[in-house]
Amino acid sequence: MAADPDLTAKVERAIADNPVLLFMKGTPEAPRCGFSLRVVGVLGQLGVDYGAIDVLPALQPLREVTSELSDWPTFPQLYVNGELVGGCDIVEELLESGELAEMLGVEQPADAAPPEAERILPGGSQQSPPMPLG
Amino acid sequence: MADLTEIEAMIERALPGAEVEVIDEGGGDHLRAIVAAPQFDELKRIDQHRAVRNAVRERFDDGSIHALTIETTVLGSS
Repeated sequence: MAADPDLTAKVERAIADNPVLLFMKGTPEAPRCGFSLRVVGVLGQLGVDYGAIDVLPALQPLREVTSELSDWPTFPQLYVNGELVGGCDIVEELLESGELAEMLGVEQPADAAPPEAERILPGGSQQSPPMPLG
Repeated sequence: MADLTEIEAMIERALPGAEVEVIDEGGGDHLRAIVAAPQFDELKRIDQHRAVRNAVRERFDDGSIHALTIETTVLGSS
């Protein structure tokens, strides 16, 4: 099924407008999926500002859009400077290797590792409020 | 329920020369693919993952794979 052109345009605009943009299930303050939680934790460790879009209200339509735009059907998805970096696995790998910090132009944290559960409690990092897509 | 041997063969066909191992991580449809391929040398991580996932896309579409964790390394690098 073809993706909704209006929604596609909104997604493209959001990706263009936000140097760092996370499509996730839930919000940075209240992630609703373990993989989304882990990516929020990584971004918190790096201390970057980012936009976040909760995909749950329009999961299937958004899946169709990102499948077409980025050839990637699952969430979370992290975009940096308009390009899809990856989902949870890739984001964690790139954190450990230091590539993500480099991409984002921030210092590699001394203890860069996939965060422990207690370190990724929401609210600790600099997070932008979730953006409505409409 | 996925046929692990078939999934491995699909990945090997898409990435000739690759070393591929596919493991059932639960229920027969939650799989892990460990792929070392020479082609990955020039690909970003996301494109490495895309190459593996697209090789087995048919088995996602028909429901035999529900979730696929992908681990990639460049064959020939240490």
